[in-house]
Amino acid sequence: MTKTAHAFRLLAAGLLLSAATTAAHAAEDTLVALVPAGPHPYFSAWEQAGKDAAKDFGLEGGDYRVPPKWELSQQNQLLESLVTQGYNGFLVFPGDPVGGNGVVSELVEQGAPVIAGGGCLKEPSDAAFCLGTDTGNSAYIGTQELIKRMGGKGKIAHFAGFLVDPNTQLRIDAVNKAAAETNGAVEVVQVIADIDAPEPAEEKINAYLAAHGNEVDGIVTTAWIPAVVSANALRKMGDKRIKMVGIDHDEVVLQAIKDGFVDGTMLQNPYGQGYIGTFALDRLRSGCTVKEDAPFASTALTDRFIDSGTTFVDASGVDNYVGAMQAITKEIMADFETNYLTCE
Amino acid sequence: MQSMLGKAANTDWFGPLVVVIAAVVVIGAIEPTFLSAFNIQVLLSAIAVNLVIALAQMIIIAIGQMNLSVGAIGGLVAIAFAGMMEVWGIPAPLALVLALAIGLAGGLANGFIVAKTGISAFIITLASLSFFKGLNLGITEAQPFYGVPDAVKAFGNTNMIGPIPWLVLPAAIAGLGIWYLLAKLRIGRQILAVGGNPHAAELSGISIFQTTVWAHGLSGLLAALGGVMVVARLQIGQPSIGDDWLILSFAAPVIGGAVLAGGHVSVAGTALGVVVVAIITQSLVLFHIDPFVVQVVLGALILWAVGINRWREVRVERRLRGAS
Repeated sequence: MTKTAHAFRLLAAGLLLSAATTAAHAAEDTLVALVPAGPHPYFSAWEQAGKDAAKDFGLEGGDYRVPPKWELSQQNQLLESLVTQGYNGFLVFPGDPVGGNGVVSELVEQGAPVIAGGGCLKEPSDAAFCLGTDTGNSAYIGTQELIKRMGGKGKIAHFAGFLVDPNTQLRIDAVNKAAAETNGAVEVVQVIADIDAPEPAEEKINAYLAAHGNEVDGIVTTAWIPAVVSANALRKMGDKRIKMVGIDHDEVVLQAIKDGFVDGTMLQNPYGQGYIGTFALDRLRSGCTVKEDAPFASTALTDRFIDSGTTFVDASGVDNYVGAMQAITKEIMADFETNYLTCE
Repeated sequence: MQSMLGKAANTDWFGPLVVVIAAVVVIGAIEPTFLSAFNIQVLLSAIAVNLVIALAQMIIIAIGQMNLSVGAIGGLVAIAFAGMMEVWGIPAPLALVLALAIGLAGGLANGFIVAKTGISAFIITLASLSFFKGLNLGITEAQPFYGVPDAVKAFGNTNMIGPIPWLVLPAAIAGLGIWYLLAKLRIGRQILAVGGNPHAAELSGISIFQTTVWAHGLSGLLAALGGVMVVARLQIGQPSIGDDWLILSFAAPVIGGAVLAGGHVSVAGTALGVVVVAIITQSLVLFHIDPFVVQVVLGALILWAVGINRWREVRVERRLRGAS
């Protein structure tokens, strides 16, 4: 935990300079809640990001609030409770891309702008926009990197996250697409999903590797815990034949990259989502509006998508992964207001 | 020989044993790697942890109650165990003792509130589930503890003999301990008596209060042991440890012949129930079942396994009625 916190501090310091020019325009009573769909290590970067953004832009607060379980009803209850406690801006990872729209509309009706962070809501939605990883593209690039390291041929096992996560199907499709582009040279022989929790991941990934480890040439993981468990499994097996591309920046995965058990990881930018999201919510509360002709991208869920960035890191770049995340966030922050907002 | 088979057929463990043998033979024939040393080790690791979790629920089923907080206690203990070692640098053996004490205290608190208030254990443990999970999230803020010593990691990931992992040792001790307690010790018989007929038990001088408190305390202790074992196996203190324990904790004892109304449980049956669930889970992976239908298939197979056991019980009851 210490290393991660240190990394986020470095990231914050790098962003402080660009923040200083904007702080003067902030609404001082802006109190932002950053709310994931449930407890998950991916979102822990939001906590520091919210605090840093609140400090850098002079807001009343940017607080990370976690529902006790990964359930839409629990997230809805928490959001309703937070609005009564005075929170007036929300960065929300939707517990469900369709079901989450109801409570978002309620919040917006109360005058609190909402940004979907990390994952999108299905249109039509009252969320201002969606700021998240282009998960399909991330999985696609990760699989392409894996295929390169497999020498362009072989069999891939794909270990994925919660099936209720709107991103999971996009990732499954993207991995299949990258494999299909090899004209049969690469085949996705197994998708194990719903394992973004420790025990099922441990049980199923190990069972699969025990039975079919000698038949697969590559592993791509598109969720945090499967990446950790797979990295540990390959280390335990002492296997460097099977190539693996993971996701995110868990210490276990980063160390496995350094030790040669994992070939690389697709970094996402949760810190940037939290930081930029909090900043944008404050600007929306300060009278800015979303530009009608903003250069949004489109996904299967929304046509108001902003990519918070993703990049592949291998052994040569793993020591500077914070720098990679910092560069992405800086790049988006540099012209965020100009590109996406109209401010008086 | 026929008489021995007849006697065995009357036991709780016979049905699950038949299912296990049939499954091993069929799956082993179709997928020979199922019986490889590595796979046996993977299977035994899962069975060891799941047995302890199932026993934590079984002991509460024995008194005719339910403990919905088994996973929350296990999760809290898991992060406490890893956190004590990482943050305070407490040596693993001392952290283990303190972690087990936290689980015991959590269980005793459940039992005390249930026995004192007379409110259903379902309600009390539903509330304490939220309390323990809240503590977990408050401490970790959903971030794992990584500072697990190498000795603990090795315990969870190395083998004792051949393909038998070290994790089997605490599970076997827990299983034998609970069997001995229920079969030979006074408190064990009191637990079964209270579960079978609390009114009759009270009339015969058994303290329902004490029995309930001790059963829940034992359940908390076993859940804590499960949490510690999962930390050793995963090599990190994940805050979401325990979130998936509930279904398994009920499925295994029920497959093993436990009566949910209380008074009758079987350690051997529960152990075989755990094996059935582990084999089902693993076979879904081995046979490339579509991830979107895994839950459906798992549910159907558990129902099938429970059904076989119930069918056996009905046949035995009919035979006994016919004989009398």
